[in-house]
Amino acid sequence: MTMSIPRLRIRRALLGASLALGLSLSLTLGAPRVYAETPKDTLVLAWAFDDIITMDPGESFEISTAEILGNVYSTLVRLNIDDTSEVLPSIAESWTVSDDALTYTFTLKPGITFASGNPITAEDVAFSFERAIKMDKGPAFILAQFGLTGENITEKAKALDAGTFQFTVDKPYAPSFVLNCLTATVAMVVDKKLVTEHAEAVTPSAESPYDTDFGNGWLKTHYAGSGPFILRDWRANEVLVLERNDTYFGEKAKLARVLYRHLKESAGQRLALEAGDIDVARNLEPGDLVALEANKDIAIESQSKGTVYYFSLNQKNPILAKPKVREAIKYLVDDKAIGATLIKGIGTLHQTYIPAGMLGAIDDRPYHLDVDKAKTLLAEAGLPDGFTVTMDVRTIQPVTGIAESIQQTFAQAGITLEIIPGDGKQVLTKYRARNHDIYIGQWGTDYWDPNSNAETFSSNPDNADDASSKTLAWRNAWDIPALTEETASALLERDTAKRAATYADLQRKVLADGPFVLLYQQTEVGAYRINVKDYRLGPSFDTNYVDKTFKE
Amino acid sequence: MSDPTSSPSSRVQSWRTWLLTEFPASPAQARLGRVYVIWLRFSANRLALTGLGVLIALLLVAAFADVLAPHSAVQGDLMNARLLPPGSPGYLLGTDGQGRDILSRLLQGSRLTLLVVALVAVTAAPIGLLVGTVAGYAGGWLDAVLMRVTDIFLAFPKLVLAMALVAALGPGIENAILAIAIVSWPPYARVARAETMTVRGSDYIAAVRLMGASPGRIVVRHIMPLCLSSLIVRVTLDMAGIILTAAGLGFLGLGAQPPLPEWGAMIATGRRFILDQWWVAAMPGIAILIVSLGFNLLGDGLRDALDPKEADS
Repeated sequence: MTMSIPRLRIRRALLGASLALGLSLSLTLGAPRVYAETPKDTLVLAWAFDDIITMDPGESFEISTAEILGNVYSTLVRLNIDDTSEVLPSIAESWTVSDDALTYTFTLKPGITFASGNPITAEDVAFSFERAIKMDKGPAFILAQFGLTGENITEKAKALDAGTFQFTVDKPYAPSFVLNCLTATVAMVVDKKLVTEHAEAVTPSAESPYDTDFGNGWLKTHYAGSGPFILRDWRANEVLVLERNDTYFGEKAKLARVLYRHLKESAGQRLALEAGDIDVARNLEPGDLVALEANKDIAIESQSKGTVYYFSLNQKNPILAKPKVREAIKYLVDDKAIGATLIKGIGTLHQTYIPAGMLGAIDDRPYHLDVDKAKTLLAEAGLPDGFTVTMDVRTIQPVTGIAESIQQTFAQAGITLEIIPGDGKQVLTKYRARNHDIYIGQWGTDYWDPNSNAETFSSNPDNADDASSKTLAWRNAWDIPALTEETASALLERDTAKRAATYADLQRKVLADGPFVLLYQQTEVGAYRINVKDYRLGPSFDTNYVDKTFKE
Repeated sequence: MSDPTSSPSSRVQSWRTWLLTEFPASPAQARLGRVYVIWLRFSANRLALTGLGVLIALLLVAAFADVLAPHSAVQGDLMNARLLPPGSPGYLLGTDGQGRDILSRLLQGSRLTLLVVALVAVTAAPIGLLVGTVAGYAGGWLDAVLMRVTDIFLAFPKLVLAMALVAALGPGIENAILAIAIVSWPPYARVARAETMTVRGSDYIAAVRLMGASPGRIVVRHIMPLCLSSLIVRVTLDMAGIILTAAGLGFLGLGAQPPLPEWGAMIATGRRFILDQWWVAAMPGIAILIVSLGFNLLGDGLRDALDPKEADS
C-alpha cells in the first residue's frame, strides 16, 4: 500500500505532463504561429553551406568556407573591397619590395594578439606559410607558384625578428600579383602556439615526408585565428556560429553574434525571410528575388563576383575541334533571353574570361543568337545537317535551365544536344579526366588577380594526358603553345597598364578561337530585412565581411 | 423463332439471345457469349466506364498529339513567353520556365506515359505469368527457387529498387522502363502461382495429363488462360502505380531527360516556381492524377466484371 501511493503520484504527474504536452502541441499547431524577432545583436543568415569540408585555412578550397574564414582569420594584407586594384594593410602595417622584385619585407603591427591571447609575431606568419606548403593541400599552389617547396620554405618565408616577415619569390613577378595572392585564404595567419599544441605525430610516408600533421586534424573543426569574429561552432549542414572577437586588432565588429543556418531551398529561404525568422537570405533564385523586391520590408544587396559561368568544347572530339564548329556554337546561345530571364539579378552577361572589376577585364560581347550564321558556318565545316553531341550538366540551377535553353537553340541549327545529368562530383570527375564532349559549369577565381583566370583559360604547358599542369585549357585538350607563352609573360610585366593590355589581348584571342563559350559573370545576391544596416557582399567569396553590419 | 430479316431492333434482340443462350452451338459462340456477359457487367458500372473513357481519351490524345498540340513541346520562347499564367492568349494552360507551352507538353507527354505503361505491361506481365505458372505447376525445388527470387525482389520497395537500377544503368527513359519492368513482375508471378495452385489438382488437368500432354503444353494451353483474367485485373490496377513510378523517376531526374515532356520531370522543374507560378507543377500533376485515377477505376471495374465468383450470382 505504501508503495502504491507514490506510484500513483508518478502516474498522475505523467498524465499531467502528457496533457500539457498535448495542449502545447495543439496550440502550436492550431493557433497562428508567433514569430520571435531575431535578437538585436545577432545576425541570422540562411545559406547553403553543404560544401564545407574543413575549417583549416591551409587546406580549405571551398566557396562557403572562404566566407567564414574571411571573417574569422586575418591575412598580412587584405583586398580593398571598394577598389580591388589595391590591397590594404591587415596584420602587416607596411611592406617594401626590393628593386629586383624578388624580396618582400613586411612590418607587422605592434602589440596585436590572436583571439587566444597569444601575440601575433612574424614567427606565426612564417609557420602558417610553412604548414600550407608542407601539407600541400588543394590551395597550396597559390603560394607554391612562387617557387616555394617543402625544402626551401623556411628560407623563403622567414621571420627576421618578431615584427618583420620576409618573403622571397623565384622570379620578378608583378608586385600586385604577389600581394593579391597573399590575400588568399591559404595565406591566412594561424596561431602557431595553439596549433602546435594540437599537432599530432604521424608516420612519414611517400606523400608527406613529415612526422607531424601540422595541427591539420585539429584545425579542421577548431579555430586559431585573429579575425573580427571567432568561430564558435560549426555543425555540418546545420549551423555555423560566429562570435565577436573582443581582442581583434582592427575596428571591433558591431554584432555580438552571427548565425548561419543551413537552408538550401530558395523558396524556404524566402518564406523564412518574409516571416522574419532570418535576417538575410543568401541563395535566392530569380523568381523569388523578383517577389522579394516588391516587399518593402526587404532590401537586396548584390555584388559581381569573380566567378564566370561557361561551357567548353572538348578538342578531343573531332567535330568540336573544327574551328568553324566552335564559332558556329558561339552563335547558338540565346544570351539576351538567358540574361533577361534565367540569370536575371544573379548574373550579368559576360563573354571574356576575366571578370569585370579585375585588372585586364574587357567587356567584348560579339556573339548573339544567329541561327542562319551558325548554319552557314556548320555547312562550311562540312556538317550542314548538324551532329549529335553530349553535355555533362550538374543538376543545379541555373545551370540546368541554361543547358536546356542551349539545347533548344542548338536544335534550331540541327545540333542534337543530349544532356547527361549528374551531381557535381560525377560531372567534375569526368571533366577533369577529359572524357566529356561539352561541359557546363563555373570557374571561380582563386585569388584576386587576372593571372588566376588567364592561367587556366589560356595556358596549357603540356597537352599530354598525364601533364602536371591541368588547366581548363588542358581539360579541353586545347593545345596552345603561343598563348601559353603570352600568359606567362604577362606575369612578369611590372607595368600595370601594359599587363592589363596583354590580358585584354589574350582574352580576345580566346574569345575568337577558344573552345570556351563564356556565358555570364555571377552576381551574388543577399536579400535582407531593412532593419539590417551596412550588409555588404564583397567581390570575392572570402570578402563577404559581416563585421561592419549592425541592426536597428 | 423470329424472322432474321425483320426490323433492326429485333435483329439486335436476336443477337442478344444468340450471345446469351444457355446452349451455345459452337465454342466460338460460347466464348463470345462470355465476353458479352463480362461487357454487360462492366458497362453497368459507371465509374468503370469513366476509367475506360480516360484510357480511350489518352490513346486518342497520344495518337493525335501532333495535330492537337498548338505549339512545339520542346522549343519555347524564353524571351517573350516565360511563365505565362493559364489562359494567356495562345497558351491555354500557361508556359513553363523555358517558355514552352504546357498544354503541348502534356499532350506530347501522354505518348511517353503510354509508352512506359505499354512496354512495362508487355514485358513484366508475361514474365510474371511464366514464372508463376511454372513455379506453381512444377512445385518442388523449382518452385522454391523461383519463389525465393521473387521474394528477394518483393523485399525492396519498388521505387527504391527502380532507382538503384536506373542509377546503375544510367538515367534515361529506356532504362527507366527497363527498371520498372524488372521491379514489376514479382507480384504477377505471385498471383499466377496462386491461381495455378488452385487448378493444378483439378480433374480436367488430370484428364489432359492422362491424354499424354506434356507439362509445357499443360502450362501454356490449360493453366495460363485461367490465370489471365486475374492477371489482367492486377496489371490494370498496377498501371497507376507504374505511371507514378515513372513520374517519380522523372521527378528525381532519373527518368526521361530534357527536353522530353515527361510528366514527372515536368513537376520536378515546376517545383522551383511553386510559390508564384503554381501551374507549372500543377498541370502535369493534374494530368497524372486523371490518368492514374482512370486506370484505377478501369481496373476496379474489370475486377468486378471478370471475377468468376460474382458471375454465378
